[in-house]
Amino acid sequence: MNWIIILVVLTGLVVLRRFKLGMLAWLGVWWFAALVFVRFGFDVAVPMSVVKLYMGIVSLGLMAYVLSDRNRLKQVQEPLVALLTERSHAVLLGVIALAIPSAVAANIYFGMTAPAKPPVFGRTVHPAPPTELNVFDKEFDLVSLDNPYRHLEEAEPEEFATRVAHGREVYYENCFYCHGDLLAGDGMFIHGLNPIPTNFQDQGTLPILQESFVFWRITKGAPGLPEEGGPWASAMPAWEKFLNEDEVWDVILFIYDFTGARPRARHEVDH
Amino acid sequence: MNIPVPLKIAILAVGGTAFYGYVGQLVPQKEVHPPEVVEINKDVTSVEMAEIGKEIFNGKGICATCHTIGKSGALRFPDLDGVAVRSASRIPGYTDVDYLAETLYEPDKFLVPGFNKGMPQINKAPIGLTDDEILAVIAYLQSLGGSPSVTMETRVVYTGGALGGGTAAVAEAKSASDGAEESQISSILATACSGCHTAGNPADGPSMEDISGRLSRQEILTRTVDHSPPLPNAGQLTLADLQDIVDSISQIKGAV
Amino acid sequence: MKKKKLLLFIGPLLLFIVSGLAIKSAFFVDGKLAYRSPAAEQGERWTPREQALEDEAAATEKANREKPYEEAEYRAFPVVGSRVAIWVVSQLHLLFAAFVLAVPMFALTIEFIGYKTGDKRYDDLAYEFTKLLSVSFSLTAAFGAGLTFMLIALYPKFTNYLAHVFSPTFLPYVLLFFAEAGFLYSYYYGWGKFSARVHLFLGLMLNVVGTCIMLIANAWLTFMSTPSGISESGAVISTWEAVSNYTWMPINIHRVIANVAFGGSIAGAYAAYKFLSAKTDEERAHYDWMGYIGNFVAIAGLLPLPFAGYYLASEIYAFSQTMGLTMMGGAFSWLFIIQAVLIGNLFLFANWYLWLGMGRIEGAERFRPFIKYLLIVVTLCFMVWATPRSILATVEEVQAMGGSSHPILGFLGVMSAKNTAVNILILTTYISFLLYRRSGKIPTVSWAKMGNRIQFGIFVAAASIVIFYGVYGYFVEAAVRIKFSVPQVMSVLLAMILVTIIDVLLMRNAKSTETRWGKISPISQYVLIMLAVTFTWIMGLMGYLRSGLRQHWHVYGVIRDTSPDAFTPTLGFATQVVSVTVILFFALISFVFWLAGLSGKKVTAAVEPNPTLPAAQGLRPVGFEAPATSSVATTSGGHQAKAGSSPDSGGSVQ
Repeated sequence: MNWIIILVVLTGLVVLRRFKLGMLAWLGVWWFAALVFVRFGFDVAVPMSVVKLYMGIVSLGLMAYVLSDRNRLKQVQEPLVALLTERSHAVLLGVIALAIPSAVAANIYFGMTAPAKPPVFGRTVHPAPPTELNVFDKEFDLVSLDNPYRHLEEAEPEEFATRVAHGREVYYENCFYCHGDLLAGDGMFIHGLNPIPTNFQDQGTLPILQESFVFWRITKGAPGLPEEGGPWASAMPAWEKFLNEDEVWDVILFIYDFTGARPRARHEVDH
Repeated sequence: MNIPVPLKIAILAVGGTAFYGYVGQLVPQKEVHPPEVVEINKDVTSVEMAEIGKEIFNGKGICATCHTIGKSGALRFPDLDGVAVRSASRIPGYTDVDYLAETLYEPDKFLVPGFNKGMPQINKAPIGLTDDEILAVIAYLQSLGGSPSVTMETRVVYTGGALGGGTAAVAEAKSASDGAEESQISSILATACSGCHTAGNPADGPSMEDISGRLSRQEILTRTVDHSPPLPNAGQLTLADLQDIVDSISQIKGAV
Repeated sequence: MKKKKLLLFIGPLLLFIVSGLAIKSAFFVDGKLAYRSPAAEQGERWTPREQALEDEAAATEKANREKPYEEAEYRAFPVVGSRVAIWVVSQLHLLFAAFVLAVPMFALTIEFIGYKTGDKRYDDLAYEFTKLLSVSFSLTAAFGAGLTFMLIALYPKFTNYLAHVFSPTFLPYVLLFFAEAGFLYSYYYGWGKFSARVHLFLGLMLNVVGTCIMLIANAWLTFMSTPSGISESGAVISTWEAVSNYTWMPINIHRVIANVAFGGSIAGAYAAYKFLSAKTDEERAHYDWMGYIGNFVAIAGLLPLPFAGYYLASEIYAFSQTMGLTMMGGAFSWLFIIQAVLIGNLFLFANWYLWLGMGRIEGAERFRPFIKYLLIVVTLCFMVWATPRSILATVEEVQAMGGSSHPILGFLGVMSAKNTAVNILILTTYISFLLYRRSGKIPTVSWAKMGNRIQFGIFVAAASIVIFYGVYGYFVEAAVRIKFSVPQVMSVLLAMILVTIIDVLLMRNAKSTETRWGKISPISQYVLIMLAVTFTWIMGLMGYLRSGLRQHWHVYGVIRDTSPDAFTPTLGFATQVVSVTVILFFALISFVFWLAGLSGKKVTAAVEPNPTLPAAQGLRPVGFEAPATSSVATTSGGHQAKAGSSPDSGGSVQ
């Protein structure tokens, strides 16, 4: 949250109350305030697609507000009608009449001269896993698969610590180039990657996944991603070709241990 | 300006519908195509057949639902690790191909001691593998502890062959291929390569005329391996084939 | 002058035809005169023309005689292809069927209320709803026949298979259909001709038979998604097992509720159309009231729908995890963002209509300031509800966010936030309704203040419980979190029930101001129409989801789709087809409305002033407020005026 911006927006709204603004002006003020809040009110900028979605909803809401009462509608209509009909507004009307096509032209100009960008695409970040996985010349049932070393955490903490330490070695030998020193998905290679590597520190990633899912993603990498859910250009290698089974399980233990996340518990769909 | 009510309503309904249709255009657009049906070409090698067979084993054939590979203990169905070795000696007079074919076409005829009936006929519904697919599965099973010998030409008892025929056919094919190797390489050079690499038409590919004088063997090898566009049918060439081809190319003196 | 106009019109048309003919003949002549070298010169063996024609005819005949019979798996539909053709026809069939099934349900309820309270207006209203039925019924049957023939013609192999599994259900279906026709027409034409009890019984049977028809048809289509009762190769073992497959019951429940909501919204749109084209205040008052009831039915159906949807989704998961994940996480996950926009709109429109409705009540001004805050809550919940989990973003944006989910908005994209948002939305809509209900009344009971406080307290408590579980959901395991939706829903439902009870008691003997039916802003009627459009569109979208989930299967896991249309199209394409279907539906339903208008003859009967019966009011369901205007226009067909049958006598109600 960018509190300075929010404070500025709020003070602006309070200050404007002192002036006598018409309904139309207030609509503009509210719409603009919402835009500033959504666009700049967050430390990390909100993607344009979401800004557009939110502003669409805000516009609908404001429309409902105006149209749900006859007086309000009249208050909005009157200045508009006055603008179009009264002589005293002729200059303003002329300016607006010129401004609209100019804005369209400017929009097209900036759209055409903007540097080329890769197309925006949506991916399902965690696609539906298959029910079975065939790696290391074995069949894994992903529905019931658990990390075979997870139980050591309570049963034999020392053994578990060695496993994690081994996982750490595996991580820093193989993964950290992309996934970063602190597992934040910001390794040294990421500038060439799109999509960028997964950020394990994100609370919306590891905690919502089961270890079997992580196992599938590590062993199969980008080539094993299902077709549905988006264009896959991920550079994640299929680690089944480079790591053995134990190494994969250990590195999973490590990334969960390092980020302090707990794997998602399995729940039975009862029927 | 008085717009009649029905028109107003029509505009609203069409406008509202168009708006929702527009929302539908804003989300990611992705077509999902059904998985491809694996078609086995007639000219695949035995090793490739084994790979296809592995896919069928785990996928369409749903063999892996019951059979394990590399598991011991109390099993409901035989483990298939090293089945290639055992299958040759299970039934006297049967080759490994004959035996494997029988277990697939008529699974109840011979039962591995200690196991019960329970396997469906693989060529019938619901699994319904085709004869070609069963050959690929046999190739895969042969690769478990051995090396595959069946080809797409192999005929077993159920597809119009005779007992012991499978191996014989393989042996024939093998000896024939050994003898034909030399002439095969030169025919590849004559037909496949010279199709593009002709002296007259540099747009298709650089001429190989007097190539031994211009490029070293290593350079020829690099260019052959990193061939752009990829060599047609490159997947069917073994490394040895490739080396033979490169050797032949690097000996070219004068016109091709 | 007129001639000139005609000339202006015909002139260009003639010009167009003549130039077309000229071009056509030029091509023809060009083709005739083109130089061809003689066959002999081309090195071909020359055959006399007659001989060649004879040979050709003989060859064709021989080929025809020897042509083997081949069973076709698919046949193509011209231009748009088989899938789109069958998609549009079945969707139209479904929309009309939903309407035909739903209207009798609330028509019967309204008739029953009229019978109980003795209020003639309810009876008239029920009749007016029923009037929309008969044409819709024929259209449903026509589209049903179209669908059947298209299935036989375009998908013979698949249709054959369905017949293999379900042939025992076909005959009962046809018989039920006859019964439906019988009950429908006797219910409609027998209005006022039978005793009230017999007529109500006919209505009840109409509903029972209609529901049975739906149950059978549901069995077919749920079997396609979640087949059971068959062997591994698809041979039928038990038809009953095939009928009662995993999703049959969930679909039955979901459809009944959704049909009622949809039917209510369409009836509301009819009332809106009549309101807008009404010429007199009486008509306006009547259709305002009708639209109000249609909207009430629609919203009452909408509120429980999300829960029926959860039940359906959980059964899909239970049948096949893969199918469930395809729905929520795979190819179809973005469909739910579109759905969120639609549902958010539904709630917004519903609230909006209620706020506009306050315009017809004297003394509603005191509630006007609250609307602003309700609107803010609705808008915020809508925004949370529509926040996607995986956000569409450019590369820079993704890098700035450090992942595909935003550090703060990411919290809004998950289940916890969305459940909270939808529960608060339901609660807000209910508060809007309550405000509307109370706007015309001043309580006279002694504990009025206390009652208000208790009601307020209940709302606060319910909202707090919902928000508490919503926030707490972030701190627990997913398995626990999923169960939180139950207390959230229960607290909202409980709050709604308790508040309703208190409100009924509170408003006993309340001083009521006049409800000026018809004195409502015309904008409200456009809102009603948009509500109907949105309902129809969302039905089309969810119909696509249910069908599309099968992906490349006709019958999931049993009969594979090997036609060229086996792939799953993009959502953009799907929404285009849905949009076209919705527009076609509205074109046809306006035809139905027009016909319904023709059949009624204007009879403005001055219904005697009806002082609201205090005793009866307590019995009434909350929504059904009797119009307090002294007279309403009743448009009645057969039972009052025989002239109704001649088309030129009515010309609608104008």
